Amino acid sequence: MLKAFIARIKEGCRTGAFPPAEPNLPPDFRGRPEIDEATSAEEVEEMKSVCPVDGALGFSEGKAFIDMGRCIFCGRCAAKCTKVRFTREYRLGVFKRDDLVVRAGEGGYVPPVQTDAEALRLKGSLQLREVSAGGCAACELDANVLGTPAWDMARFGIRFAASPRHADTVYLTGPVSRNMRSALDKTYAAMPEPKFLIAAGACAISGGLYERGEYPAEPALYIPGCPPHPATTLEALLRFVGDM
Amino acid sequence: MTELFSFKTIEEAEAKLDSLGGYKDPAEVVPLKGAGAHEVAVGPVHAGVIEPGHFRFQCMGEDVYNLQIFLGYQHRGVEEAMVNAGGNIARQTALAETCAGDTSAAAAIAFAELMERAFPLRFQAPDNEALRLRNILLELERIANHTGDLGALAGDVAFLQTASFCGRIRGEYLNMTALLCGNRFGRNAIVPGGVRTGDAADKYGEIKTWIARVKPELDRALKLMFHEHSVCDRFDGTGRVPRDVAESIGLVGVARRASVEFNGDVMARALVRRIEINEAHTKIAKLIGGEAPASETPRFDGLKPDGFTVVVSTSAAWRGPLVHAALFSPDAKMVRYKIVDPSAHNWPGLAWALRGEQISNFPICNKSFNLSYCGTDR
Repeated sequence: MLKAFIARIKEGCRTGAFPPAEPNLPPDFRGRPEIDEATSAEEVEEMKSVCPVDGALGFSEGKAFIDMGRCIFCGRCAAKCTKVRFTREYRLGVFKRDDLVVRAGEGGYVPPVQTDAEALRLKGSLQLREVSAGGCAACELDANVLGTPAWDMARFGIRFAASPRHADTVYLTGPVSRNMRSALDKTYAAMPEPKFLIAAGACAISGGLYERGEYPAEPALYIPGCPPHPATTLEALLRFVGDM
Repeated sequence: MTELFSFKTIEEAEAKLDSLGGYKDPAEVVPLKGAGAHEVAVGPVHAGVIEPGHFRFQCMGEDVYNLQIFLGYQHRGVEEAMVNAGGNIARQTALAETCAGDTSAAAAIAFAELMERAFPLRFQAPDNEALRLRNILLELERIANHTGDLGALAGDVAFLQTASFCGRIRGEYLNMTALLCGNRFGRNAIVPGGVRTGDAADKYGEIKTWIARVKPELDRALKLMFHEHSVCDRFDGTGRVPRDVAESIGLVGVARRASVEFNGDVMARALVRRIEINEAHTKIAKLIGGEAPASETPRFDGLKPDGFTVVVSTSAAWRGPLVHAALFSPDAKMVRYKIVDPSAHNWPGLAWALRGEQISNFPICNKSFNLSYCGTDR
């Protein structure tokens, strides 16, 4: 017992300085993509030939685009064509599906600000009920990691609740497999109002590499990535309740 | 390791794929009757941040008489998607990596070796540097998962120091993986023919220093737990799968080793993980120190144009052997793909471990195995 006590004191505080300090991202971190204005349809086709996901890259209204809701951030397009770059911008969470689409020539990205009064009321106490519906466990594990001392999201009042009865949001991961449809619907229905759905990871947002099943409701927050980096998730959750 | 089998007919080839096995749900819930008999149903949605599965604890009084495990909630058609990806290697690699997220590196290796064996002309043999990075990613994956699970075991017996320390230390190993390839799960790096990251070798020095700092912290965290009487008391003798049972139901990997080399209880599975953490560190040190990794893929044969070919590729995933197998038609088209996660063999072991235990011992039995739902369901 004494040894355990001493070990605890020696360990000290391990919680990262993020936030408010910038997160410690790996040197090869691939965040929000940037596309040159003058990217041609041919170049997009060339990049599409190496892209693992259907519809992640495209060309419409004379402009190239990348849909972060489908992208798995593998960087193959950027390796193929210098007109696409993955920046270190990790603040990827958005409140509208359309905001996940990055168009050629777009600059000066500012993450959207929460205006939903019901969501803002959850600042300081946001209870999440995780539902994995066909997820590969990567999104689940990197959400779970937010509860460890290194990230300690509980200091902002954000927790994973054991029961949907105690939760404000369903934190959905995975492409909503057919066999999880009814369990997901029931879990969502079991939450008291006001309630939200958060779609985390490419699978939950668009199906990603798979086909997505139906949502119980429109998501109020989209967190892209495969899986999203914990810093991306934590920042998105904080911004969702107006704490960032 | 890869093996190549040639068949005259597709039926024979399919029989080979089917013989690789997989998890089958109990056909039906067998009711338990009698005074004191009752049943506790859990899932598919569990209390923690974990994947879905349905458990039926059939109890006589306080003791679990039988546990029935029903899976399939995570089925999303990985194998069909592999076939439908029709030659899009990037897509197939990503599909392999997302079959079970915690086994991404092992899966990418299995898929890459399979394709290298099937198409020796299309994919060059990975060079030593590529093999080195592949193996380092595989071992980092092993360490991160074992560390996380040992921490979770500590958490389940309310020994929170080790639970907290390991939770943080697991993250350090994931970040090492991210340093090497930009993704915490070792994704987007291993591809048929080699690796995608060019200059990983420059980063090995940093990894070495990083491990030198973190490994003693991990050792301390584990020693603290394994030397604590209250923890040992909970682990010892709990969830025991005897050697003969382990062999007859065909357990693999960590669970089998725990039953063969030790006595097959939660403590045994925890010890095997600790041993494997040390073995993985030794291996990484050798790889970084310049030892040439063994290439296991023979490159002299490919698909035969006059029959059906099954290529079976096995990689040493952290739970046990992960098997990827593909059936190719005479015109070299992939017509079936099969993934057998080590978990598929070990679910019956978890069910066995619970026999005669109290339901309250389920969490530590479960964590000691920590089987993959998505890997089993595919």
